[in-house]
Amino acid sequence: MSDYLFDMRGIRKSFGGVRALDGIDLQVRPGECLGLCGENGAGKSTLMKVLSGVYPYGTWEGEIHWQGKPLHARSVRDSEQAGIVIIHQELMLVPELSVVENLFLGNELTLPGRRMDYEAMYARAHALLKELQLDDVNLSLPVKAFGGGHQQLFEIAKALAKDARLLIFDEPTSSLSSKEIEVLLGIIERLKQRGIACIYISHKLDEVARICDTVSVIRDGKHVATKPMSELDEDSIIAMMVGRRLETLYPRVEHEIGEVVFEARHVTCYDVSDPSRQRVKDVSFSLRRGEILGIAGLVGAGRTELVSAIFGAYPGRSQVELYMDGKPLRIRSPRDAIRVGMGLVSEDRKRYGIVPMLGVDQNITLATLQHYASAGHVDSGREWSVAEAQIASMHIKASSASLPIANLSGGNQQKALFSRMLLTRPRILILDEPTRGVDVGAKVDIYRLIFELAKEGISIILVSSELPEILGTSDRVLVMGEGRLCADLPNDGLTQEQVLAAAIPQAKRA
Amino acid sequence: MRAQEFRALFVRYKILALLLALAVIWIFFHIATDGAFISSRNLSNLLRQTSITGMLACGMVFVIIAGEIDLSVGSLLGLLGGIAAVMTVNLQWGSWPTVVAVLLLGLVAGLLNGFIVTRLRVPSFIVGLGGMLAFRGVLQGITHGATIAPVPADMVYLAQGYVNQTLSSWLAAIIFFALVVMTVARRRRRAALSIPQSAAWRDALKLVAIGAVMAGFLVMLNRYNGVPLPVMILLALLAIFTYVGTQTVFGRHIYAVGGNMEASRLSGIDVAGVKMVVFALMGLMCAFAGIINTARLAAGSPSAGTNGELDAIAACFIGGASMRGGAGTVHGALIGALVMASLDNGMSMMDVDNYWQLIVKGSILVIAVWVDVLSGTKRD
Repeated sequence: MSDYLFDMRGIRKSFGGVRALDGIDLQVRPGECLGLCGENGAGKSTLMKVLSGVYPYGTWEGEIHWQGKPLHARSVRDSEQAGIVIIHQELMLVPELSVVENLFLGNELTLPGRRMDYEAMYARAHALLKELQLDDVNLSLPVKAFGGGHQQLFEIAKALAKDARLLIFDEPTSSLSSKEIEVLLGIIERLKQRGIACIYISHKLDEVARICDTVSVIRDGKHVATKPMSELDEDSIIAMMVGRRLETLYPRVEHEIGEVVFEARHVTCYDVSDPSRQRVKDVSFSLRRGEILGIAGLVGAGRTELVSAIFGAYPGRSQVELYMDGKPLRIRSPRDAIRVGMGLVSEDRKRYGIVPMLGVDQNITLATLQHYASAGHVDSGREWSVAEAQIASMHIKASSASLPIANLSGGNQQKALFSRMLLTRPRILILDEPTRGVDVGAKVDIYRLIFELAKEGISIILVSSELPEILGTSDRVLVMGEGRLCADLPNDGLTQEQVLAAAIPQAKRA
Repeated sequence: MRAQEFRALFVRYKILALLLALAVIWIFFHIATDGAFISSRNLSNLLRQTSITGMLACGMVFVIIAGEIDLSVGSLLGLLGGIAAVMTVNLQWGSWPTVVAVLLLGLVAGLLNGFIVTRLRVPSFIVGLGGMLAFRGVLQGITHGATIAPVPADMVYLAQGYVNQTLSSWLAAIIFFALVVMTVARRRRRAALSIPQSAAWRDALKLVAIGAVMAGFLVMLNRYNGVPLPVMILLALLAIFTYVGTQTVFGRHIYAVGGNMEASRLSGIDVAGVKMVVFALMGLMCAFAGIINTARLAAGSPSAGTNGELDAIAACFIGGASMRGGAGTVHGALIGALVMASLDNGMSMMDVDNYWQLIVKGSILVIAVWVDVLSGTKRD
């Protein structure tokens, strides 16, 4: 089996007693595209960090062979030198530097005395971009002048500039329009013909089905199966990823939907750095008591902007008209929003959620601390029992309530942040990507909680990029595209195709 | 394994490492000065020197925990001290009205800094840098570049006076008794709610250690003239700031805002309001320090407080505050201030040239933060 370009066997890696990877095998031949599938938290990103040298040789068990020889990468630099380059989900470009400077960042072509050899770099960059069929790019403009699709292609060109033999794509299309996705997939096809191998990590199984020759599925850190794509379809991949029938993921609870309690009219948000651009364009919707309202749409459709504007947290200029129980609301800050009975669990736990150095208990009580205090003095006993009750009822796994929250797994952090908002006793709870980076078990807990809250009469706005999640939980689905509200669909037997059909024409028109 | 446990102990109780370092510094100076350093007279001096930097550090540690910085405090200290001198000497105000007026002015100056940082959104580093120049300029303007003296005796007493010995002994006894009662009460409450708590012997050991240190200092200081008044003021501030930082909603909000400002905002915390108050407290502490400084010199000087901000900031970082905000303690900052003052005092006693003093202080600051970085690094 020496025809493998890349061969990893029996990879194991633990974090403080928790096994993240438990015996993973992966093989890739030159010119092959391997799809790597698995739920969030299955261990994909850990595996990629092993493979790209982020976790140096010796911090994990197992063997990696590269072109038939053992590979002992001690850093990202080592593995890049060998020809393994990872293209991250969040692009690693320096926005203020020019395209050509970015393409050769850390890998500059030089003249004697370590001077930048701009002529050589421009010539090489032109050749690289031509290969990617990007002829009309001004290489001396800063990268920030280009859109997400172009930037993604620059990342690929940057990898090719390093003579990459194996490209790893981590959710490459999550922020691309459908037209840009077409271009990217076409380029991967051509790279394959040139003998360059790819590992393609994506939740979008239609893309995996189109581009990949082989698919490996991992679940809970274990290798489930590797099969040629010709033997698989999307459903069988999902079945392997989840390891059980899909319906059980969404433990629906019957809940009563009451009268309209909340209305948002003519919400318009302007871009923070370019106030002439509208990120959300005149969106209106209403919300009933006990209703779960899903908001679907591609990344960049303006969903997060819409909900943060409603919550008084949008950083730029926005126009919002809100009514609760038919009476107009004035919300200028999250403080106002919480006071009138709204809660928001944000999409980005690290940036907008946890206070890493504070304990789990102190994170849970952050929004309601004044309730456990008299004259400004915190009753630490009361605070502790409130937090402890939440930890128990939400099944938050923490060795101690006062442990800094940064030490918890993503799913447990998310549950703590739910607790924080639930303690404010909201009537309307806005959840922005509540299961991002959360493992399957915690996901089901979160869905169950959403249904229970709806049953108690709390109205829920659920923003999600995962269509099955929206369809599995929502009573009604709003579809957004390019900042506009494209459709308002009741969810009885709604299909992914119907939702996409509502979202995509809008995207193509742009 | 033993070395690891040792390290874990220091990581958990950073304060132990700091106290150990302080002990090493003191023993070094004690030997180098042939036993003059740890004497009643010198300890009295040393603590008095610490009090001004310590007052600034009390305010500064909150500013740093909130994720900001204030570089203007040295100049503001000088300016407020100068105003106190001008009011009492040139305008013939009484000492007490002057003290009240200067404290209010400090509060206003702090609010002004806070307003520019939070409402006008100028980074605090720049606001501090601007204030550093501007406040110094105002000071030189109102003093016409000359020393203003003599300050009345009752104001001088604030810095040079001593607390009555019987009174301070009683105070120490009461404070110690209160600490014991508070510890027992806390243990009872925690037991009732079945909150896990540290072993009883640990709390007992802590109390014994605190009691021994208090008694030792009291005996030493009473052998000279008693506890200096500014030291007593600093201890009161230590108690108040520690209480605010650890027991109040406002205190928790300072840590939350510094730890993650966006998360705090989304949790409904008035981030700008918290920062305003933190800057206002900083201004108030500048007023305290300025008055004490003027009283200590019995004069207002146009160069008073120069580099004061650097000592205060260094004290906070030596005391374990985080550069990125969200972590730090008041007692840590005060021990940091004591370290800085000990270096000044000890090297002056040894007749070390001023340039060497600067080199040593700078190096100690960098080494202290380096050790902090080392012990805080997580490896997997």
